[in-house]
Amino acid sequence: MAQAEKKISRRRFLKASTFVATGAALTYGAVSVPLLRKKNKVLLRPPGALDEDLFLASCIKCGQCLQVCPPQVIHLADIDQGFGIGTPYIIPRRGGCILCSGLPCVLACPTGALNHHLSLGKDAEMGIAVVSSPSTCLAMLGKNDLLFRLEQLQQHPEKGDIVTELRDIVARLAGRISPAEKTKLQERFSMPEISESTLPQLIAKVKLSDLDWLIAFVTGSSLAQSGCRVCLDECPIRDEKTIVFEPKSETQEKGAFFPVVQTSCVGCGVCEEKCPTPVASITISPQKKWPGKNKDHVGEGGQST
Amino acid sequence: MKTNRDTKASTTSVRSFKGAGLRSRNTPQPGHRRHKWRIIRWSVLLFVQFLFFASFFFDIQILEGTLSGSRLLGFHQIDPLAAFQLILASKIIMINLIIGMATIFIIYLLFGGRSFCSWICPYHWLAELGEMIHKKLRTKKIIRNHGFDRNIRYYFYVIFLGLALITGYTVFETINPVSIISRAVVYGPSLMLLWVATLLLFEIFYSRRAWCRYFCPVGVSYQLIGLLSPLRIKWDREKCSNCKRCQSVCLVPQVLNNCVNTGKSAYVDSSLCTRCGLCVDICDDEALGYGLKYLDKLI
Repeated sequence: MAQAEKKISRRRFLKASTFVATGAALTYGAVSVPLLRKKNKVLLRPPGALDEDLFLASCIKCGQCLQVCPPQVIHLADIDQGFGIGTPYIIPRRGGCILCSGLPCVLACPTGALNHHLSLGKDAEMGIAVVSSPSTCLAMLGKNDLLFRLEQLQQHPEKGDIVTELRDIVARLAGRISPAEKTKLQERFSMPEISESTLPQLIAKVKLSDLDWLIAFVTGSSLAQSGCRVCLDECPIRDEKTIVFEPKSETQEKGAFFPVVQTSCVGCGVCEEKCPTPVASITISPQKKWPGKNKDHVGEGGQST
Repeated sequence: MKTNRDTKASTTSVRSFKGAGLRSRNTPQPGHRRHKWRIIRWSVLLFVQFLFFASFFFDIQILEGTLSGSRLLGFHQIDPLAAFQLILASKIIMINLIIGMATIFIIYLLFGGRSFCSWICPYHWLAELGEMIHKKLRTKKIIRNHGFDRNIRYYFYVIFLGLALITGYTVFETINPVSIISRAVVYGPSLMLLWVATLLLFEIFYSRRAWCRYFCPVGVSYQLIGLLSPLRIKWDREKCSNCKRCQSVCLVPQVLNNCVNTGKSAYVDSSLCTRCGLCVDICDDEALGYGLKYLDKLI
C-alpha cells in the first residue's frame, strides 16, 4: 500500500517537474531575449560583422576570430555585456583593430557572421571615429603630443610604468626631430650617432632623471610648434586621409587645428587607442555607418558637441 | 530488511544463466583492471581539452576553436544543435555549417554517437566528479536522489530550436554549459561559469547526473548519429551472472535492460548509451565489452 502511494507521488513529481522544466526553458527564452537585448551595450565588432541583429543570430561563439587575430585585440563578451554572451568585440581604448592584410578573423569565421565578402580592411564598416572631447584634443589646443606626454609624466609620476613610457617617447622623438637637434640629443646621451639600428641602445640609456632635460629640449625644438597628429599618423588606412586637420579660424591660437573625420574612416579604433590624452579625445561610435559613402566629408557631423 | 536485489533473487521470474552461480560475484578475473576504460576515457577527454587550450595558448593548430565550432586540422566541425539554431535564427544556410555537421556525422558514426558526451564533453567530466560526491552523501543518508522525466531533453531540443526561430537568436547557447566550459578552457573564465557551478551543485545535492541524464539537448543530436553507429557495448549471455552492477554505475541504466535483464539482445542498442565503458569496467564476469554491430562477423 505504502509502495503504491509512493509510486503515485513519484509519477506526480515526474509530471510536475517536466512542466516546470519546459516552462522554465520557455520563460527563459521569452524573458531573457527582450531583457538582455535592452541592456545590450553597442559593442565594436570585428571587421566584416553583419548588422547587429543578424550578427547575433549567426555568430556561433566559437572564438576562432579571436584565435587568429595578430594584435590580439578581440575579446569575448560576458553576461555583463548583455545579450551577446560569447560574441567577439573590440575594446578600442585597449587595442584597436589594425585591419591587417587578408583579414584573418573574417577568414576564420565558420558561419559568415563576419561577412566573407569583405577582403580589404578599408572597406570595413565597423563604426565611425568621433572627436568626442574637443576641449581636451591636443590638435585643437595646438599642443605637441610628445611634449604633452612628458608633462603628464612630470605631473603624475605615480601613474604606471614611467621608464617604459619615457623610453617610448624618446624613441618617437628621435624619429621626428631635425638633424641639428639630433646632434644635441646625441651629445646628451653620448651616442656616436642616432639611427634606427642604434635606437635600442639610446633608449636603454634614458633614465628618469632625464625627464626635465627632455622637456626643456622638446620645448626648445621645432616640435613644440607642431600640434598633435597621432590619430592620423597611427591610422591603419594609408592610401586615403581619414582625418583632415582644418585651421581653426575663430581663434587666433597658432598651430591650432580642427580634426575632421572623413568618410574613409572605418572605425577600427586605433586612433582611440593611441590618443595621448588621459581620456581619449577621439572615440569610436560602434556600428555607426556613413550615410552614403559618396560625400567628401561630413564636416561637423564627425564631431559631437 | 530486504534489499531490492534480494527480492529479485528470491523470485523465480528472474532468469538464470548458464554461468550464474558458478563464479563468485565479486571476484574479478585475473588481469581485470577495474578502471581501465575510465582511465583511457578521461585521458582522451582531458587531452582534447588540452588541444583546444593549446591551439590558442601555444598556437598549436591541431584543434582550433571551441566545442560549438572548431577546426580539426583545418576541417570544420560544428555542433549540430548550434548549427540548427543558427540556421533557424538567421534563416541563412551557410555551406560551412553543412560541412561542419558532415564532419561531426562521420566522426561520431565511426566512434558511436553519444560517445561525444562521455569521451569529449568537459561538463560530463565535471559531472562525473560531482557524481562521486553525490554517491558519498547518499550512502551517508545526507541527501536523497530525485529523478526526472527522461524525455525532457527532447522537449528542450524542440523548445530551443523553436525559440531560435522566433527570437532570431541562439538562446540556448547563452546557457549551454558545454560551450561555456569550452570557452573558459580556451579563452579564460567568464561569469557564466557561475551558472555551470549552479548546475553542478544541483546535481550533487538534489538529482544524480541531472543535466546529462534528463536535460541536456546537446547530446540529442549525437544520439541520432548513434542510432546508425555500429560501435556499441556488447553483452555476452554465457558469461553474465546477472548481478546488475553494470546498471548501478550506468548514466542511463535503462539501456542495459534488453541485454542484462531480459536477454533479448547481444548489443546495447539504445541510442542513449554513451559508450563510456563504466559497465565494462565494473563487470567481473567480463560479460560486457566494446563491439561492432553488423561488422563483428565480417571481421
